[in-house]
Amino acid sequence: MTTLTRQDLNFGQVVADILCEFLEVAIHLILYVREVYPSGIFQKRKKYNVPVQMSCHPELNQYIQDTLHCVKPLIEKNEAEKVVVVIMDKEHHPVERFVFEISQPPLLSISSDTLLSHVEQLLRAFILKISVCDAVLNNNPPGCSFTVLVHTRDAATRNMEKVQVIKDFPWIVADEQEVHMQEPRLIPLKTMTSDIVKMQLYVEERAQKT
Amino acid sequence: ASKAQPKPNLSSASNKKVIILPCKNPPSREHVHLWLEARKQYENLQKLR
Repeated sequence: MTTLTRQDLNFGQVVADILCEFLEVAIHLILYVREVYPSGIFQKRKKYNVPVQMSCHPELNQYIQDTLHCVKPLIEKNEAEKVVVVIMDKEHHPVERFVFEISQPPLLSISSDTLLSHVEQLLRAFILKISVCDAVLNNNPPGCSFTVLVHTRDAATRNMEKVQVIKDFPWIVADEQEVHMQEPRLIPLKTMTSDIVKMQLYVEERAQKT
Repeated sequence: ASKAQPKPNLSSASNKKVIILPCKNPPSREHVHLWLEARKQYENLQKLR
């Protein structure tokens, strides 16, 4: 077994590619399952060898892609602590938060048979958990929207500056209103530990949604 | 004698935790609904041709 640092073989980039691809699928699925958009815009596709629902609305798809393009440099440098899909009510107060808590080990113990092979299986389990999460969540009020929050460090946001300009997709620091949730109920969905990344997903749900 | 002002710790200030989000909003549900209706009408017209 070989032990490598994160810089070797540009593993940060590999991890960022894998996670951003996964987050794209996860965001589409969350929007479908939680009925943020009409179900008619979603089409069944196969990802990670399981059926998922992906939007076919060009503007929405572009928005999700632009968001993740900006997040990618942070993940690459292990500077995105949490990526959060927030569902907000008409007054823009959060009603649900899907929190993806990400951490990457500084040293990688790699053998040819474990390299990436296990990751797809683990991510599939996350997708399956998201697809059935409506069973453990209360219905959302009508007219909800969504946003994506990233927990990072101030200095790290400089890594995003270039891509923000290229994509014409600026980011700002969140207001208290966008972050605060009264008496959230915590629902753990899935945890994974692999050679290249550790991730846990939980939902924070507002006690009173209406 | 006036006391010397302590220098702010710039390194720790620039490394504080922040929560960020895109400045732009995603398309609204209403906007997407209108797009979906228009697409259905277009598909129906295509079938009639």
